[in-house]
Amino acid sequence: MSALIIDDVAVSRGAGPVIQGVSFTLEQGRVTALVGPNGAGKTSLLDGISGVAPISAGTIRLDGTPIERLSRVARAKQGIVHIEQGRAVFPSLTVRENLSLTARTPAEVDAALARFPELEKRIDAPTALLSGGEQQMVVLARAFAARPRFLLIDEMSLGLAPVVFMRLLPIVSEIAEQGVGVLLVEQFTHLALGLASEALVVASGQVSFQGPAATLREDASLLHRAYLGGAPA
Amino acid sequence: MLQGALAGLAAGGLYAVLAVCLTLMSRLVRVVNFSQAATGMFGGFVAVWLVTETGLPIWLGSVLGVLLAGVLSGVIGWIAATWLSEADTTTRSAMTVGPLLLLISLSFILFGNKPQPFASIISGPAFTLGGVVISQVTLVTVSLAIVVAVAVRILLTRTAIGTRLRALSERPTTAELLGIPSKPLSIAVWVVTGVISAIAIVVVAPTQSNDAISLAMLIVPAAAAALLGGFKRLDLAVVGGLVLGVLSGLVAQIDEVALIRNFLPFLFIVVLLLWTQRKEVWDAAR
Ligand SMILES: Nc1ncnc2c1ncn2[C@@H]1O[C@H](COP(=O)(O)OP(=O)(O)O)[C@@H](O)[C@H]1O
Ligand SMILES: [Mg+2]
Repeated sequence: MSALIIDDVAVSRGAGPVIQGVSFTLEQGRVTALVGPNGAGKTSLLDGISGVAPISAGTIRLDGTPIERLSRVARAKQGIVHIEQGRAVFPSLTVRENLSLTARTPAEVDAALARFPELEKRIDAPTALLSGGEQQMVVLARAFAARPRFLLIDEMSLGLAPVVFMRLLPIVSEIAEQGVGVLLVEQFTHLALGLASEALVVASGQVSFQGPAATLREDASLLHRAYLGGAPA
Repeated sequence: MLQGALAGLAAGGLYAVLAVCLTLMSRLVRVVNFSQAATGMFGGFVAVWLVTETGLPIWLGSVLGVLLAGVLSGVIGWIAATWLSEADTTTRSAMTVGPLLLLISLSFILFGNKPQPFASIISGPAFTLGGVVISQVTLVTVSLAIVVAVAVRILLTRTAIGTRLRALSERPTTAELLGIPSKPLSIAVWVVTGVISAIAIVVVAPTQSNDAISLAMLIVPAAAAALLGGFKRLDLAVVGGLVLGVLSGLVAQIDEVALIRNFLPFLFIVVLLLWTQRKEVWDAAR
């Protein structure tokens, strides 16, 4: 069982750190929810973990080995897959081509598709022509086909109708049940907390709550205070 | 008249090959490569030097020269991929002016500023068509342009590596996050286009003005041809190159207008821009 250990990490953009002092551990098979107001630094933290942006302090260890100096490509090959905010499809590529980027065999393409029967009739359409929900399915299926050990998901719900998002959310649980450690960034806080076992709340670039997701689920005022940036509990 | 037009076709094939390479570079590695012809020129000059000074057979000297051009192009690509990987297209393109000037002056220093005694790899007529002779050089360059354009299209749409290249060109960061190695793939694109350009230049150089400046500045008509396809479409880049070649062959035949031959790429660009601007007005883009 491997673990991704984030230790006292800070990510800076231009002027200074936009998020700092973050420490937590992602374990395989578990979902950790990362919530907080807009601009809190959630995306920046994910960028730091996957290598889109360099981290300016701290260490990131995968099975004890520091990975914070590795390139994005090297981290991806280690099994860290980052689903970016927005719908990160390659527009001119067909659904099949999108999946074939990560699937090693045609059988793996089929396995990924099995979760999304909706996609099968669009399999040879350029993804640009798909609806927002279908595009996000392509992104999830592609990530699943990559056989990640850790999956970082940034605001999957962005720009999707709630009913579409509700269709996608159970898939995240299923992926976790297969032994993937998921870090789920989400604006629909209550939905993310419903799925997660652990939770982190960040506000103004700092962690304001860290602990079992159930604690936040049960205590709305605690969640409220953490959102406003109350001191770490 | 027809003979003149067909004489221009050899040059047109060369423009077309270079235009296809420019289009590929623009689409796949986000750069307008001003040194596209210069690396081929330098490889060609080294080939000439190898043949005349060291007595290598022509074919071997040419192969080595072409490979050198590929390596030079790869080095420029490595620079772009290492230090300018996040830079915009403008910055990356501006960078390629450096190697263009460097290769021109280096060839002056090493080989002087005279046209080079290129030995023909292929020469002579290929066949006669309605009383007009088509040279082998014409046949080879025009076929090369078409074959390269078709092969590249098949590569991009039918193969796994082509899918990866398209993914990288559309969303480089996302592609890297999926473990697609952007740096080796982009450098490979630089090497391959460098090699293809050099082959075309080495084939045509014996029949053209072949001093360093003339060859390096083939980038101008090539860019004009690529512009016809908006630096996106390979088929139009080929058409652009051939049309430009035929036009300049025709113009050279007519004494009254022979002078404008040198301005032809420029006129071609102006007419194209006016044409596209006209459309923009209709589209109410402003
Ligand atoms: N590329 C960037 N350059 C400069 N500042 C940025 C960049 N991306 C984000 N920021 C800033 O960093 C802060 C955190 O942003 P972000 O990580 O996107 O937060 P969140 O995902 O929680 O909404 C914001 O103040 C934002 O303006
Ligand atoms: Mg964000």
